[in-house]
Amino acid sequence: MDNNAKDIITVKGLTKKYITYKRGSGFKESVKALFVREKVPVIAVNDISFSVRDGDIIGLLGPNGAGKSTTIKMLTGTLYPTCGTIEVMGYNPTKNRKNYVRQIGAVFGQRSQLIWDIPPLDSFRMNKAIYSISDEEFEERVSFMAKLFMVEDLIKRPTRVLSLGERMKCEFIMAMLHNPKVVFLDEPTIGLDVIAKHNIRDFIRRMNGMGTTFILTTHDLEDVEQLARKVIIINKGVKVFDDTIENLKKVLGAKKIVQLTLLKEVGTLDIPGASILERESPLKMTVSVDLERMPINEFMAKLSEQCAFSDISVKEMPMDTIITHIYQSKGIEQPDK
Amino acid sequence: MIRYLKIYKECIKVDFATASTYRLNFFLNCIIMLLGDIFFPLITVLIYGSGAGFEGWTVYEVLLIQSVFTMSTAIADMTFHGIMWATMDLVRNGGMEMVLILPVDTMFILMARTFSFEGIGLFAGGAAIFTIAILNIPAPSVWEWLQFLAFFISGLFVMMGIGLIMAAISFKWVGNSRIPEIFDCIRSFGKYPQSVFPKAILVFTSFLIPVAMIAYCPAAALLGRGNMTMFLMILPCVIFLLFGIFLYKYMVRLYQGVGG
Amino acid sequence: MRALKRQLNVLRAVAVVTYKEWSAYRTHSMVSILVGPVYFIVQYFIWTALFKGRTEINGMDLNQMITYFGASTLIGYLTMDFADWNLQMLIRTGKFLTFALRPIHHRFFALSQKLGHRFLGLIFEFIPCYIIFSVLFKAPLMPAHIGWTVLSVALAFLMVFYIHYILGMTAFWFTQASGIRRVFDLLSGIFSGVYIPLVFFPQWLQKALFFMPFSYMSYVPVMVFTGIFTLAGVRIDIPVIVGIQAFMVIITILFSEILYRASMRRFNGVGA
Repeated sequence: MDNNAKDIITVKGLTKKYITYKRGSGFKESVKALFVREKVPVIAVNDISFSVRDGDIIGLLGPNGAGKSTTIKMLTGTLYPTCGTIEVMGYNPTKNRKNYVRQIGAVFGQRSQLIWDIPPLDSFRMNKAIYSISDEEFEERVSFMAKLFMVEDLIKRPTRVLSLGERMKCEFIMAMLHNPKVVFLDEPTIGLDVIAKHNIRDFIRRMNGMGTTFILTTHDLEDVEQLARKVIIINKGVKVFDDTIENLKKVLGAKKIVQLTLLKEVGTLDIPGASILERESPLKMTVSVDLERMPINEFMAKLSEQCAFSDISVKEMPMDTIITHIYQSKGIEQPDK
Repeated sequence: MIRYLKIYKECIKVDFATASTYRLNFFLNCIIMLLGDIFFPLITVLIYGSGAGFEGWTVYEVLLIQSVFTMSTAIADMTFHGIMWATMDLVRNGGMEMVLILPVDTMFILMARTFSFEGIGLFAGGAAIFTIAILNIPAPSVWEWLQFLAFFISGLFVMMGIGLIMAAISFKWVGNSRIPEIFDCIRSFGKYPQSVFPKAILVFTSFLIPVAMIAYCPAAALLGRGNMTMFLMILPCVIFLLFGIFLYKYMVRLYQGVGG
Repeated sequence: MRALKRQLNVLRAVAVVTYKEWSAYRTHSMVSILVGPVYFIVQYFIWTALFKGRTEINGMDLNQMITYFGASTLIGYLTMDFADWNLQMLIRTGKFLTFALRPIHHRFFALSQKLGHRFLGLIFEFIPCYIIFSVLFKAPLMPAHIGWTVLSVALAFLMVFYIHYILGMTAFWFTQASGIRRVFDLLSGIFSGVYIPLVFFPQWLQKALFFMPFSYMSYVPVMVFTGIFTLAGVRIDIPVIVGIQAFMVIITILFSEILYRASMRRFNGVGA
């Protein structure tokens, strides 16, 4: 990675406010609401600044409703900020939208660009016309990316018969046909199985190796761990973390979450580095394990000595726990959930 | 410009491919559209069949108006009315961003992407009644045909203007599937000889929302009843379309400001 | 008696919930306040022009014609239904099963829903449009026999519901049932008399319409509202035609019950 690379994205003081209206229920309320509506101001993104270097992969993390999607929408020029500035490759996304979006690519995990009833290859042709891609470049890009994803035959079948993972691969090809320098990904691996996730991450790494900058939002910590070099965490519209993935790991510590279903109730666990986070019921509990103090295999051995359990699962730390950790590490109070 | 034509060609190809995938559904929709709209001139036949009629208008003359209306509707349905449904859907399910990230004019791409062959049956039905009506009136001169063409195109402007205004409304009135009904009811003034309406309504249908231009003026031209006022009405038609375009673009910008 | 009371409680509860659920979309209903009067104006001028120099067309005078179109629109607001769409959706998505598991007949549930939904129509469509038609346009909109009119509208309410419910049940048997629904909508639009009084149709068709469900959904209550009922050249006394309407409703209910039982056997057997 080139440490002298230039900033390709600069965001300063980005803020988005909007007003929603309260809807009443019941007859009286409904008649009243015809005349007066109660305004509810919402601050979706609050004074966020950051920068992205050319050729980087950054992860935008945060729980649901944190403002990730709003930020991505503003970065892609589809939503105007209330205040603050954005500069991507020298463009201001809100000005001259058509010229700007020609330079970028986007995959929104929940929204498809592919046309349901026809093969992806035909959908690609639509974007070929929209981005005025030449015949040679189109052939070359399609065959290169289809090969990378191993979907050469699939792109000729109607989209509706493809699996979710296969469709997602085609979404990526469609979004990158015009060889954009910057690609925005909103929850790109949502709902995918392990193998499909692996393929997509591999593809992102390969394209990044060829110089494409990626900005991805996700609430899957694994996406970030495996792809991103830099992590930005947003909570309730505010940036709470902006640093390398290594430093995030330092803050969080190497912790795993273990969920247990016990056969017999136990009072406490006497294992160094392990602590009970929650008891859902007398026979169900969630334990956090600090891997630096207690390797997972040793933890397992000690656990089976101390109690009998019928089910166990080891998980990554959930998003809200990460947020709590970050607030704790900074020594500031976490705003109400 | 050439790029936009290429995009449009791709969109037509996509619609053709979709229609041929669901052949049965396509033909069914064609027929239902045709029957639904063709019943309307049939009412005229039923009324005239009962001995009643509009003073100074034979049944063929009224059918001429209504067949022109049908053809105009069919062209609108095939080429630009889809933007109304598309906008409504995209605003409701939040998919508008996927359109905004494309480097083309939003209004253009939404019209192009909703191109639909399904109106072709309706057009054929309208054209058939039109032919019957034409054969039962004195043959129009070349000059009258030219007038017809000019008025018919101006009428399509009005159609497009109304469609865009309705689409623009759906940005604010999210998920209201009844918006097209408003559109239909405004247009219904344009299906009859304008002489049945009082002056106040005529001002409205000629200059404010010039729905008289959709079918009445083109038909009147073919009947040799074209006049100066009709030529003057072309201007409000153009203004109306420009207003529709302006309003739609304005709402897109507003949407980007507020977001879904 | 206890069972009846329980049923009434369920009916009221479902109707109230439906009302609340849909009142979030009341502005959708209120589109009618614009659309209804505009169509009415168009019809008013067309028929005034058509009646120029004549006192009757097909046995109806201008006053009755104006009343006809006004009443037809208004009664439509009270009887409108989409039980067919709803039931087909439930069957297609498999949600119908959740009703099969509850101690309530889905048809009764749907009827209660319609009651709540049409109460919304009464408040946000019928009443405003009635006021506009009769106060602003001075349309003659007093029913000739209020009791018979209310009864006939209530019967039409049931007729529309049961017919649509039958259409909804076709989804148990066919996968592409939405086509059937659209064709029916088209036919009922034409033959229920919404666009033009049925007396304008050829005699043979008018006779046939006596034996079809369409006229009982709109034409009959609207003509009862105007006070004079004619079809196929026969003038029928109001109590008699309402009696015939009631008879047709009963037949429809019976048919719907037979189809429901057959559908349930299929549903439980195939698990469609």
